Amino acid sequence: MTQTINTSGYSAITDSIRNEARRILGDGTVSAVIGYTSSRREGSTQPTVITKSEDADKLLFTAACLNNLVVYLTKAKKDVPHEGRIGIIVKGCDLKALVGLLGESQLKRENLYLIGIPCNGVLGSLFNPSAELNSETIAPKCRECTDRIPAGCDFMPDVETVGLPELNPFYSSEIARLEALTPVERWEYWKEQFSKCIKCYACRQVCPFCFCEQCLCDRNRPQMVEQTPRPSGNLAWHLVRAMHLAGRCAGCAECERVCPMDIPLNLLNRKMAKELKEMYNSEAGFEVREKGPLTSFDEHDDQSFIR
Amino acid sequence: MSRIGVFICHCGENISRTVDVERVASQASLMAGVAFSTDYKYMCSDPGQTLVKKAIAEHNLTHVVVAACSPRMHERTFRKAAEQAGLNPYLCEMANIREHCSWVHENREEATQKAIEIVGMLIERVKKNRILPTITVPVTKRALVIGGGIAGIQAALDVADCGHQVVLVEREPSIGGHMAQLSETFPTLDCSQCIMTPKMVDLANHPNITLHTYSEIEQVDGYIGNFQVTIRKKARSVDEHKCTGCGICITKCPQKKIPNIFDCNIGMRTAIYVPFPQAVPNVPVIDRENCTMFKSGKCGVCQKVCGPGAIDFTQEDILITEPVGAIIVATGFELYTITEKAKGSPIKGYGEFGHGKIPDVIDGMTFERLASASGPTGGKILRPSDGKEPKQVVFIQCVGSRSREKGISYCSKVCCMYTAKHTMLYHHKVHDGQAYVFFMDARVPGKSYDEFWRRSIEEEEAVYIRGMVSRLYQKGDKIVVMGSDIAVGVQVEIEADLVVLATAVQPQKGADLLAQKLGISYDKYNFYSEAHAKLRPVECATAGIYLAGACQGPKDIPDTVSQASAAAAKVMALFSKDRLEREPIVARVKEATCVGCFACKKVCAYGAVEEKEIRDRQGNLLKVIAYVNPGVCAGCGTCQATCPSKSVELDGYTDEQIVAMIEAL
Amino acid sequence: MNPENKNRFEPKIIAFVCTWCTYAGADLAGTSRMQYPANVRVIKFPCTGRIDPVFIIKAFQQGADGILISGCHPGDCHYIAGNYHARRRFAAFRKLLEFIGVDLNRIQFSWVSAAEGGKWVDVVTDLTERVRNMGPMVEFKELALEEQWSGGLDSPDLQQVYEAI
Repeated sequence: MTQTINTSGYSAITDSIRNEARRILGDGTVSAVIGYTSSRREGSTQPTVITKSEDADKLLFTAACLNNLVVYLTKAKKDVPHEGRIGIIVKGCDLKALVGLLGESQLKRENLYLIGIPCNGVLGSLFNPSAELNSETIAPKCRECTDRIPAGCDFMPDVETVGLPELNPFYSSEIARLEALTPVERWEYWKEQFSKCIKCYACRQVCPFCFCEQCLCDRNRPQMVEQTPRPSGNLAWHLVRAMHLAGRCAGCAECERVCPMDIPLNLLNRKMAKELKEMYNSEAGFEVREKGPLTSFDEHDDQSFIR
Repeated sequence: MSRIGVFICHCGENISRTVDVERVASQASLMAGVAFSTDYKYMCSDPGQTLVKKAIAEHNLTHVVVAACSPRMHERTFRKAAEQAGLNPYLCEMANIREHCSWVHENREEATQKAIEIVGMLIERVKKNRILPTITVPVTKRALVIGGGIAGIQAALDVADCGHQVVLVEREPSIGGHMAQLSETFPTLDCSQCIMTPKMVDLANHPNITLHTYSEIEQVDGYIGNFQVTIRKKARSVDEHKCTGCGICITKCPQKKIPNIFDCNIGMRTAIYVPFPQAVPNVPVIDRENCTMFKSGKCGVCQKVCGPGAIDFTQEDILITEPVGAIIVATGFELYTITEKAKGSPIKGYGEFGHGKIPDVIDGMTFERLASASGPTGGKILRPSDGKEPKQVVFIQCVGSRSREKGISYCSKVCCMYTAKHTMLYHHKVHDGQAYVFFMDARVPGKSYDEFWRRSIEEEEAVYIRGMVSRLYQKGDKIVVMGSDIAVGVQVEIEADLVVLATAVQPQKGADLLAQKLGISYDKYNFYSEAHAKLRPVECATAGIYLAGACQGPKDIPDTVSQASAAAAKVMALFSKDRLEREPIVARVKEATCVGCFACKKVCAYGAVEEKEIRDRQGNLLKVIAYVNPGVCAGCGTCQATCPSKSVELDGYTDEQIVAMIEAL
Repeated sequence: MNPENKNRFEPKIIAFVCTWCTYAGADLAGTSRMQYPANVRVIKFPCTGRIDPVFIIKAFQQGADGILISGCHPGDCHYIAGNYHARRRFAAFRKLLEFIGVDLNRIQFSWVSAAEGGKWVDVVTDLTERVRNMGPMVEFKELALEEQWSGGLDSPDLQQVYEAI
């Protein structure tokens, strides 16, 4: 049965972030605010960078605000001023990526002004941006979200959002389903998925953690990963990506959202996150960490798999 | 275009017995890039090496693969030969077809096939080898010695005598360490002070030695040849330069009842004090915790009586920085205190022996002070409680040591000998007294040691009882010692006047903190770890840091002095060159692609990764990236496996080389 | 090759080992003249900390049927902690491989010290025999042969587009 999800607070949130953006741009606290604005298609939104307080009314927050804007702080900062503090609108999931980037010396907290969104979920896709947010249309990541309210922001709209109803989790049940299969069945599943990949690298482009100037997979001397979109190279690419994100990815699921071939990429990342939590009690995105689970160790780590 | 030379060794018959070396050579000659291929009976022999060198010249070879034994055996030999023939040594690789092939396989066909494949892998690898220039780092020819006990003094004197500058840092107000506390030393019974104090004076007067007493290591930066050491000189409250050491301040100080730690708290000292009369430097220190002036602001007697005006109540700690090229750690030991279990300590304590509660149960060091002519009793054996001469003394060995259940499983090494010495000293001073020793084993190896131990029994009449004491308790003015004699199988009960416990030797408190500052490793007891237990016993795994004395493990004086001289010799060897050469297997950062996530820095166990600012010509900061200090990098490559973009690469084990080998499969 | 086993499957085993412990342990097996199957090819690294998971993928793609990763025992690392980092890295990586359907019986991790020539022989022999019984690692090989997507174009939109062409 489809359950409607309450997004009634979103217009109040919009008002609140507009006021805050106007204030911080007006008094010079920040030189720009990265947020969402309406797009050409009815109901659709797109990221924007505003630098003038009079543009504050262009900002909005709706269930169609899918993007993780954090990527505009690192890689996609063409339109972002180089000087001054930058304001950015973050949902709980986005903040976790931002926190990770702080721990990896890619961002400095004092250069940022965080406007948190007490989020109640967003749509799974912009296929129909005006769709009602309900248990069918909601993004898979929101189904098992435990961090709707971003913590430690500089500003948070004083708006009560009621919270999500109990929804069936997507990733954890999908992981459990795959884990229950035999290796051969799992291989068949992933072979199918990876074979679809066209190596457009949209997943890499949108990922806040893919901030390398030269990706390992673009290297030719040596060619660590085959670059043509053939099944073998695709598999290697997705394994390398999952490994590089292990312990860092907190699940904004942008990779999966932008994938034109609908490969369940976040499934790999969630699986790795689950394993690292079980093995090392380490979860990404909750605090600025000096070291992640794969850049640290404990002398007593499990080694039951080592002879 | 590479012109690779492949040299297949027969190793007598060691390889050729199971591997068809001619076939390996002929197959190798067909491989891409191979310009020359041959086999020879003994490639490592002089004619064999000449063959390699000649071939390099005649065939204009660019790379060399020697298929022979393990590279652990002869890589150096062949790289040297290649170098002599004008090739960069790192363009020579070895294919291990002996230990990994001919010796472990019997089937000739299989072994030959495997050998061909191994050679093929190494041919592919060597093509990707790059010329690696030898890395040299400058050497600051000054040594830092931490600790002014006999180990530190010996090491400092040796290095200084060789003409190098030495900085010695001692935590206490005087150098001398534990050896200065001892009465007489085994196995010769010569007076410790008599052999120690001249060395202390030598050190203080040595033109090449700078002495910082009452000072501690605050911070250590840098790497072998180039350390920057920050030293905290604690406020002495006495100007070292003005003080003449006349001692009038000490005689006039009204605070006279402070237990003297140097005398194991049996004797008393004043608030302004030198730890012992022969202290070096002979400059007093004000103990600010006990000084009336510091406690209540009234007194200042010392300042009034001091002729040169050396007393300075306002003195503060100062930090000084010393550049040094090598560090000798000689922080020594302390004795296990057996009173109570310290909070958080895995070591359980020996409450059952009443130490700290029964005043006449003392440890070995306290007995040394009682027996010392310069001690609180003037060398008379008098028990602490009532000053009477004890007529029955029980010595208990292995207190703390060798008892896993109490937390220390090692043997403290010196206790058997010093207990034997104590029984002798006691017998010499109290002719009608009787010494009993409870012991588990007598561990007395060493030159003249066993003879010495036997003498304590056979000539000095000590009674040795094999067994452990279960309990002791005060009864009137006696201490009842209950134990078992396992040799005879009876219970023993002795009414003793004094009990001396041979407590375990432990590293100094805070040894772990110092190790963390130095970046050296230590074991679970906080003893410092040497680089190799047998072959590199005085070096730390961290280059440029050396160990001397009991900080590395329990040691007696001869061993300590030997190790100190050995450490000094290592330092002198380091200082014999202006620049230090090292194998160029180090990580390098590709500045163009590094984005400064510092994952490499997080995993580097050596602290070799630093942050480097990249600026444009106008001086604007473009980015902060990683930089690997080649002097510190040990070459493990953990950084490269961690770096997502492989912007740090380990020379000699690059991805290209590894992948070339995998792709050769 | 024994004549009776002429057609028996000989697996390709690749061993990634550190130079200080396992490589030296394998040397010791040699100097002690121990015997083990000739299927293993050793690639030497300074430390297990240097071993990148990409090499494992690469080795499978190059036709390895079994992979061994071996280094110093905990606490013995010549580089203080490289093996500890490797332990975590491969604990995570093997979970990933398992999740995409690689049979973990094809990958062996071990600590073999410079003194454990016998253990080296045991580890290599066991892995070789185990992989021999499992047969060739066909998954990566098949994948390498596929030139195009095998993925079913089952989305109705795409079907429509393709039919229209």
